[in-house]
Order: sequence, then C-alpha cells, then structure tokens
Amino acid sequence: MSIRILHLFVIVALIVAAAYVYDIKFEATMQAERLSKVRGEIRREREGIAALRAEWAKLSSPARIEELTRRHLALKPLDAFQIDTLANLPERKKPPEPQELLDPIAALITGSDALETGSVGKRSAP
Amino acid sequence: MTQAAPTAQPKKRLVERLLYGDVDRETKSRARVGLVILAFACIYAVISGRLAYLAATSDGQSARRGGGDIVATARPDILDRNGEVLATDVRMPSLFGEPRRIIDVDEAVELLTATIPDLNASEVRERLSSKKGFVWLKREITKEQREQIHRLGIPGIGFRAENKRVYPNGASVSHLIGHVNIDNQGIAGIEKWLDRSGLADLHSLGFANDRQQKPVELAVDLRVQHAVRTELLAARQKFKAKAAAGLVTDVNTGEIVAMVSVPDYDPNDPREALDKDRINRLTTGVFEMGSTFKALTVAMALDSGKFTLGSALDARHPLRYGRFTINDFHAQRRVLALPEVFTYSSNIGTARMALALGVEHHKAFLKKMGQLDRLRTEIPESAEPLVPKRWGELNTVTIAFGHGLSVAPLQAVMGISALMNGGKLIPPTFLRRSEEEAAKLARQVVKPETSDRMRYLMRLNAEKGSATRAEVKGYYVGGKTGTSEKVVNGRYSKSKLLTSFTAVLPADKPRYLVLIMLDEPQPLAETHGYATSGWNAAPTTAKVIARIAPILGIAPRFDLPPADRQILAATASARAR
Repeated sequence: MSIRILHLFVIVALIVAAAYVYDIKFEATMQAERLSKVRGEIRREREGIAALRAEWAKLSSPARIEELTRRHLALKPLDAFQIDTLANLPERKKPPEPQELLDPIAALITGSDALETGSVGKRSAP
Repeated sequence: MTQAAPTAQPKKRLVERLLYGDVDRETKSRARVGLVILAFACIYAVISGRLAYLAATSDGQSARRGGGDIVATARPDILDRNGEVLATDVRMPSLFGEPRRIIDVDEAVELLTATIPDLNASEVRERLSSKKGFVWLKREITKEQREQIHRLGIPGIGFRAENKRVYPNGASVSHLIGHVNIDNQGIAGIEKWLDRSGLADLHSLGFANDRQQKPVELAVDLRVQHAVRTELLAARQKFKAKAAAGLVTDVNTGEIVAMVSVPDYDPNDPREALDKDRINRLTTGVFEMGSTFKALTVAMALDSGKFTLGSALDARHPLRYGRFTINDFHAQRRVLALPEVFTYSSNIGTARMALALGVEHHKAFLKKMGQLDRLRTEIPESAEPLVPKRWGELNTVTIAFGHGLSVAPLQAVMGISALMNGGKLIPPTFLRRSEEEAAKLARQVVKPETSDRMRYLMRLNAEKGSATRAEVKGYYVGGKTGTSEKVVNGRYSKSKLLTSFTAVLPADKPRYLVLIMLDEPQPLAETHGYATSGWNAAPTTAKVIARIAPILGIAPRFDLPPADRQILAATASARAR
C-alpha cells in the first residue's frame, strides 16, 4: 500500500516538475524573443539617431548657415570694435523713482478733479 | 458474448475476463508495457516533430540576423574640437540579386531599370544571368527606391543594409579628413590613419562592426576651418590665383585648428581627389618659402649670440657670389640695423648673417628646426623636403632668404611656431592635445630671449614694415611676408610667384599662428601692379584673422603700446624678476 502511495506521489511530482519546466522554458523563450526584439529596436533607434545627427550636421554646417544668413538676414561679420569688457561698461543709471499710482477709474468714482484726462476732463470744465 | 449468457457464475467470470483477459499474468504485463511504449513513442514523436519545426523556422531568422548583415564596415564618428560631426556612418540599403532564384531575367531587368534610372541595363542583365549565388546590383540606393522595388516583388532580388560614410560638411574639411572607398575603408587623410591605427585589425577579427565605437576628436575647429576656406576662395578668385592654402595652428600645443587647400574636393564624391591640381599643398607639396625663411635665419643669428638687435649689416651694394648677384627687392642702399633687415626683408642682410655663421652652423640649425627631414603627422600625406645634395656657401646664401630649399609649408609653420612660443619645437598634430602633453613632446631649440626678440620683430614688421596690410586693429598681429619665384624650366620666373604670409596673434602673448599661401596670384590695378605677398597674402591674412580671432576666443585689446615697449621691455622686466 505504502509503495502505491509513493508511486502516486512520485508520478504527481513528475507531472508537476514537467509542467514547471515547461513553464520556465516557455518564459525563457518569450524573454529571449523580447530581448532580441528590443535589441533590434535599439539598433534601429541608434541608426535613426545617427541618420538624424548626420542630417542635423548637414543642416547646421557653417557653409549653409552663412549662405542662409546672407540671403535672409541683415547681419554682418563681427568687428573687433563691437567686443568690449564688462569693466568698460559705464556705471548704471539709478532707476527712476516710482511715481504715485494714479487710478483714473477711482478718480471718476470719487468725483475728484485730481485727474483730468481725455474727454472727461473737457466736459467737466465748462 | 454468447458463452457468458447462462449462469451468474459465468457472469462473474466474464467480468473478470473483460477486465483482466483470460491470459496469464506474463502476457498481460507485456501488453501493458507495449501500451506504455506506444504512448511514449507518440509523445516523443510530437516533441521531435515540434523540435524540427522550430529548428527549421528559427534557423533562417537567426542566420539573417547574425551573418553578413554588415558588409561595409562600421567606422567611428569623427568630431571637431567642439563636438560637431565631421564624419559619420548612416545605414543605406544596397540592392543585390540571387541569379539562381530569378525566374524571368528580362522582366526583372526591365522593372529595376524603370525604378532606378541610372542602372546599366546590359550590366544588370549580365550579372543576373550568371551562375553565381549572389551578385551586387547597386550599392547605396535611397529608402524610396528600396520601398518601390520592394513593392514590385521580384523574386531573387533583395536588400542589405550597409554602412555608408557621410561627410555633412562636404568640401570644408576634405584634405584634412580624407575619404573612404565603397567598402568603407579609409584611403586618405585621417580616415586612413584610423584604419592604420588598429581599426583594420579589429575589422578583420570581426569586431568593430557595432556602432558603439568611441568617436575620434580632432583638433580642428569647424567654424575656423570654414572661415579660412571662405576667405581663401574669395582671395583665390580676386587675385586669380592657381591655388590657395591656409593653416591655423595653436603655437603652444601644436594642434592644427584649421587646414585648407583650395581647390579641394567633396569627400562624399571623392573622384575629384585624384586631380593633380587638388593636392593638399600644405603637406603634400614642397615649396621654396621665400622671405618667410628669413625669420629662421634671423632667429639663428640672434640665438648664436654673435648678433644682437643693435647689429648693423651692410646692404649698400648687391652681394656678388660667383656669377650670382643677390639684390634686394626693397633696396635701401645703406647700412641697415638688424630689425631693418627684417622689416625691409633684405636679402643681402640675411645672406650676410648666414655667411657670418657659416655653412655647418646654418645646416645644423635648420636640422634642429626640423626643416631638413620629412615631417610626419597623423595623415599619411607627407612630402620629403628638397635639400641640396652638396650644400656650399652659395646654398647657404640663397637658403638664408628662402630659395634653394623646398619644404612642406606645415613644416615651416612648425619651425616658426617654435620661434614664437618661447623656443619650443612641438610636432604638429591633428588630434586634441593639452599643453602638458605638448610640453612632454617639446624640444627647446632656441633661447626664450630669442623668441621674445623674434616676436618683437614680427610685430614691428606689422607696425612699420612689409606686413602693415596684415594689421588687424585689436589683435596685435605680427607677421612676415614671403614671396618666392617659382622655378619654370629650371629658371626662376619673374611672373610666376608663390606668396605667403605668416602671422602670429597676439604677438605679445602668442596663441595662434596663421599661414596663408597663394599660388601664382596676378597683379591687379588696386595692388598697383604688384603681385608680391604684402599686396595679396597679407591683406587676405588680415581678413582671415578678423574673422577667426573672435571664434578662437581672443579678446581684442586696443591702444596697446608699440612693439618695443609691449614685447621687449615687458618680457625683459619679467625675466629680470
């Protein structure tokens, strides 16, 4: 009897092990496939980046930029006199005092004549 | 069935017989084993069938992926000193045919030539009719063409992605960077150097076909290179010169920041590169540098200690040597002080200096300055200087003012850089190099004091000598003109000149040396009929410097004192301290 139980147990273990191994194998195959797919994608992306870099280099090559500048912009080559050091800059002027804020609408409401602007002032002064 | 009908007893036996059969135990167990074997055989058959199926399908896939994908080899990118791309690889599809699998050659040829008009029909037919397994039909087709042909669905026609070398800046960097052949192997310039410095070995071992190679950084600055080239093209057109060349080097590290020789070629389409007119004049050509060499002679005289800035040289009469008469172009007919010999570019004066020091001393000095040996850099193009076989006094006289010894211009630049940077001879390089690395390679060839005096003379020349037209306000340029007559049929020609200008900037704290060369410039009305260096190469250099100095990060300074105070007095007091 005990032998039979042992047999049964072993058979069940065998089936479980086989199923488990199959599962692992399946998973591994899936992962490998994904890996090669991602590798291919990376390669394609790198190629794409290289192609774009080449194109960018071509579009931003000094010869092309110069030609475009000459045609479309009024810029001229830099002259040495246009360069100066920070030390040579004149002292910065003091910023103007902030003037008192005058609110024309508030003046209208309060009816004060403090502010005369536009047609309102003309009408109120006969 | 019929036997089992009558009694209950046989009924039980029937059940037993149906269950266990009426055979003995041995046969019974054998049958069971047989059943198990059959079942397992079935399972194994399914497994092996599946295995064979998988092997058959995935085999083709992996073969396509692994083998032969990269035909033209991958190369590392080449960048300039600011990281701008000078050369890179892009993947381009190439068209191939498998003649054995082609069904109708005529139809295939017709369809292909309709899609790619520049395909040679008879050549394609011949290739497709061959017995080979694989033939190239066209390398490097466009993506659109690939798409169109793919849609045609011709059997036996396929594509392979190949690496194609692309030079986004076209002709701007041609001579420097060189080019590659159809199999992406470097055949000139830096590209060839890349192959020689180990890339070819990597390829033959099967490595290096990945894109992950470290990019190569060069010393060249693309913006400077472009500026020099534009100015040279303009100057070449203006002075109707046969050719023009320009070189910008860092005097403290030996880095070549720009090297242009026009006419040049487009490395994307290198067929023109073989044209004799389009050689790189700075490394492949050797020239008599003319008065530029006087800088070396004067430096030799000052360094020997026999001459000082106060020495006087007799230039009252032409110098007669045998049947030759040495004359001055700007003849003064008086006794000249040494600085005047330099600024008036007196042949007589320099010849007298060289004679006073003797032939052997002269020869040894030029040898020390690297002017007598072939100069080798990274790029394979180089030329042996033409040194006279028997070097007598007459040779010393003419070589003193730059005739009778032909050197590669790059070589002369190396020598003059050494006179500017404090007396250190640094071999030029196309790769990035720091000042520390340069200091290890450097060789002290003249005294630092001699270098100070030479810079003073160069600056003096721009202030009141033959180089006044090269002055650029703000950059304290110093320079020396050089005009040599070209040898035509064994004689010096009066009309065919090679003019050059060597400038150092800024002259008090030298950073860059600029050499501009014009081959056979023509006299113009605005140059008053002159075709000497001061009238063409010098103003061209001024234009080049005005454009490149801001790019190179040299801050302009105005109102600097003249050369004797800014250079001589300042350096003398600095050394005294």
